[in-house]
Amino acid sequence: MTTHTSRRSFLKSSLSSAALVALTPAVPQFFLSAAASAADAKGETILVVIQLSGGNDGLNTVIPYADDVYRRSRPQLGIPVARVRKIDDYLGFHPSMEAFSKLLEEGLLGIVQGVGYPNPNRSHFTSMDIWQTARRETPESGAGYRATGWLGRYLDRRAAAGTADVPALHLSSAGRLPLALVGQDARATSIQSLDGFKLEDSGNERVRQTVQEAVTAPRPDGDDLVTFIQRGTVSAIHSSHQVQEAVRSYKPEAKYPETALAGRLKTVAQLIDAGLSTRVYYLDLDGFDTHSNQAAAHAGLLSELSGAVAAFVHDLSKHGHGKRVLVMTFSEFGRRVHENASAGTDHGTAAPMFLAGGRVAPGLLGKHPPLTDLQDGDLKFSTDFRTIYAGVLEHWLGVPSATVLGENIKPLKITAKP
Amino acid sequence: MAQQLTDVDCEWAWSAYEPAAQRPWSRRLAAHLYRRAGFAATSEELDAAVKRGPLECVERLCAPPPVPAGFEDTSATLAERTVLSGDTQHLAAWWLHRMLSTPDPLLEKLTLFWHGHFATSAEKVDKPRMMLDQNALLRAHAKAKFEELVRGIARDPAMLIYLDSTTNRRIHPNENFARELMELFTLGVGNYSEREVKEVARAFTGWEVMGDRFQFNAIQHDRGGKSFLGRSGNFDGDEAIGVVLDHPAAARFIARKLVRFFVFDEPAAPDPLIEPLARDLREHRFDIGRVVRTILGSNLFFSEHAVGRKVRSPVELGVGLLRALGASTNLLKLAQGLADIGQSLFHPPNVKGWDGGRAWINSSTLLGRANLVRQILAAPETHYSAGSLDALVEAAGADTAAKRVGWFLELLVATEVPPEVRETLVRFADDRGHSIADVIHVIATLPEFQLC
Repeated sequence: MTTHTSRRSFLKSSLSSAALVALTPAVPQFFLSAAASAADAKGETILVVIQLSGGNDGLNTVIPYADDVYRRSRPQLGIPVARVRKIDDYLGFHPSMEAFSKLLEEGLLGIVQGVGYPNPNRSHFTSMDIWQTARRETPESGAGYRATGWLGRYLDRRAAAGTADVPALHLSSAGRLPLALVGQDARATSIQSLDGFKLEDSGNERVRQTVQEAVTAPRPDGDDLVTFIQRGTVSAIHSSHQVQEAVRSYKPEAKYPETALAGRLKTVAQLIDAGLSTRVYYLDLDGFDTHSNQAAAHAGLLSELSGAVAAFVHDLSKHGHGKRVLVMTFSEFGRRVHENASAGTDHGTAAPMFLAGGRVAPGLLGKHPPLTDLQDGDLKFSTDFRTIYAGVLEHWLGVPSATVLGENIKPLKITAKP
Repeated sequence: MAQQLTDVDCEWAWSAYEPAAQRPWSRRLAAHLYRRAGFAATSEELDAAVKRGPLECVERLCAPPPVPAGFEDTSATLAERTVLSGDTQHLAAWWLHRMLSTPDPLLEKLTLFWHGHFATSAEKVDKPRMMLDQNALLRAHAKAKFEELVRGIARDPAMLIYLDSTTNRRIHPNENFARELMELFTLGVGNYSEREVKEVARAFTGWEVMGDRFQFNAIQHDRGGKSFLGRSGNFDGDEAIGVVLDHPAAARFIARKLVRFFVFDEPAAPDPLIEPLARDLREHRFDIGRVVRTILGSNLFFSEHAVGRKVRSPVELGVGLLRALGASTNLLKLAQGLADIGQSLFHPPNVKGWDGGRAWINSSTLLGRANLVRQILAAPETHYSAGSLDALVEAAGADTAAKRVGWFLELLVATEVPPEVRETLVRFADDRGHSIADVIHVIATLPEFQLC
């Protein structure tokens, strides 16, 4: 197949073995065994995380349309029964989630209900840190840069496996690597678009060589700031070669909507099809902090989310990757049951998480938190998010979850038999 | 690192730096001062600085001569044009002009600090006039009493719109501003409870934005007794701010942030090191200018714990490059370039502002920073006061490849590069096929170039 030949040739054209030997000892193992990786990419599972930033209003996403408390609590924001896309007698999707409704019918969507954690925190930053680190307490600003994310810790384990490709890729418009991907050694890559992702040198080989020499030359021990940046620079140059090569030709087999998220997921589909052994892709969709005038904004976001994910899942399936990709969405918290005085909702607690792909355990998972048993006006969580992480780590990514999560957590069954 | 930060004597740390044999005053230390207190210095400015000595340099930065009317007139004209255009993307270009041309760079640097602290995004506040007004508010109080600044921000329409706090009704108090006031602006997490957020929210009831202007809606104001942070009373918003600032954590919070911004990104300064500055803030009613002067003139600031121990922000990188080379360029394009590498002025990513430090560094931004330097140098709109890069280098008497490399490294790079790297650069510079712009571009790919 042409993809594999082109990969082998670009692996040769990137860092030569002499340059690799000259790299400082701090460079991760996976740079040094480039040749070994070519065959590994086949069949490995891939996780695509979509972070819904701001706190998604779960109650208007997967709607308990038949519930009196829901109706009474949301005189303005409550979705009329007739417009809800029914899942069962109690729950239904927001009207703009037609794509998810179909995906559910096709058995390609799982909905985990009531996801949260004990002693819920309603600060965006703290709660997001809790989700991303899978730790209850977050280190304060002092040691903040040393904090690691759950996926970062997974990547640290995987770096030992020795592959050449970027282990995790973050596609975003903001450019900041999420804490979830930060680990001790492994270097997840953050990119904004594939186009601008290369070092401009107008093809001048001398410039390229000089940069390589100057950047990889050993730096004195003990300046960990310079070493950190050096590792990052080497990684960036290496990754950019891989990424440029990977997307030279790709044909989508599904109609992707004209939204930012769909565009980014299409890029992910291209990279997956190109055979990169990247295991984790991380995207974010922002705008869910709907304190006022929620209706239109929320509808737009849910439409963007469901349309993009559905197109992605179908496209992957047509290219033969349907059974090895799992999409997972999460948000830092849900929102309060009662709407506020500005036609919006305030920070809340538990909310549903979506899982999509060819091997998800389809349908509703877990229990819906009863609206008659609230805590300070908020839903009580029924599924600890770490059980989902444990399920992803153990059953999908194939690593023991206890070391990554720091505790023995019973994994939730999130996949069905192939 | 020769000495651990925890071993640093706190009195020594903030005492005034006096040049001595072990730590002589030099062009390198002067460059460090201008890079941190402003946006870098030209070679001539460094020569002058070496003659003046650190004390006088710090004094001139903190209390510069009055800004010439011409500069403010130009800035105001550009501001009006921005407002008329209705395009918030032009705001960044307006501010970059100030940063590039101002004779008071410390003021712009501090305004930038407050912009990150009281983050508000034009993405949401889509009105140039409002964002400019907020910027003016930050500048007016940048070096002055912090309490005045907070009172101003609590009434700033742009901030209130950004925090969804344009209404705050007695029956249903809006908790947003109260939460961010304590979490992000003054105390930090862990110093107050959810209950206290609710109480502080009540103090601000009736504080509204109507028709893009702030107004106090007396009918909506809850005059009742509130109880938080160990105090009780019928506090209104201003009084609540006073109570919050009286909390001992407030001075520490602000002092810590100033140290992180001006001195070093990491590690987190130990509490005992922060305490003298916090005390100073408390004793002088949060006089920011005073504390900043202490910081900039201090032993710690000029020590190995500080020099090269920060990651350059995109703004410092772009404006610093231009100022150091005595150059100007298309500021709209520069603004976009800075946004692409992670810092879009007037568009902070969220209400926490820009995290800074290692957060500026990832694969995309590292390549982007080098690419941006290359683009600036290659742009036809880039002009040098010396006439050209070649003329600049000639005027400096850098007539060999080695001298040129040394000159640029001293001017543009915060720390020493290994001798091997210097040799690689000299070999490259020696090749007649490579322009000075090429040399600077390669320097811009170095890890050391990313430091401040």
